Amino acid sequence: MVKSERLQGAPVEAISSTAWLIGLAAWFIPGSGHLLLKRWGRAAMMGGVVWLSFFIGLAMGGHMFDLSPDGATATSMFDWAVLIQVPPMIADLGTGIAYVVTWLLDISFKEDPVQAARTTYEYGTNFLLIAGLMNYLTMLDAFDVATGRKS
Amino acid sequence: MKHFLVMCLFAALASVVFGVISKDTTRERWIYGVKVFAEFIIIGLALGWLLYFIP
Repeated sequence: MVKSERLQGAPVEAISSTAWLIGLAAWFIPGSGHLLLKRWGRAAMMGGVVWLSFFIGLAMGGHMFDLSPDGATATSMFDWAVLIQVPPMIADLGTGIAYVVTWLLDISFKEDPVQAARTTYEYGTNFLLIAGLMNYLTMLDAFDVATGRKS
Repeated sequence: MKHFLVMCLFAALASVVFGVISKDTTRERWIYGVKVFAEFIIIGLALGWLLYFIP
């Protein structure tokens, strides 16, 4: 049977609004999606890993990305150079509320030469990026469990 | 040594997530998590030595 025939024959499953809400909660508060699904072990492990990675990244002096232009190089109303910050910003955004709080408090967003000179600066930045990316995986896992695609 | 420890920490955190989301049984998850951890370390060390010889 070819793939198109399989797809035609397969019933279209309706995704409940609860699953979407669990997915949203899982993104916004790392680990909360699995907590809502009463998957305590997974919540502790996956949420714990995301939070741990995030705080280790902050402690190492890592940098977080947003779309604010670099004042030193900006030459026009729209600085095209900010586009290069979009992929890491999407990765950082994965940490949900942690990103929002640090952004509001302006922690780790400034281009600080003293911070950048730290030996652990690059490591910290990578830990922050990976925390967000791992939370996207956690969010997808919680969503799949909520829809019944995964046990 | 510190760099290696940070790499191990990174590999451990990532392999926990990969292990948990990828497989169905606890045994398979453990095996996959350990495999991913080992791959991170081995590839990291190999790349480190490779870059060491590149000026």
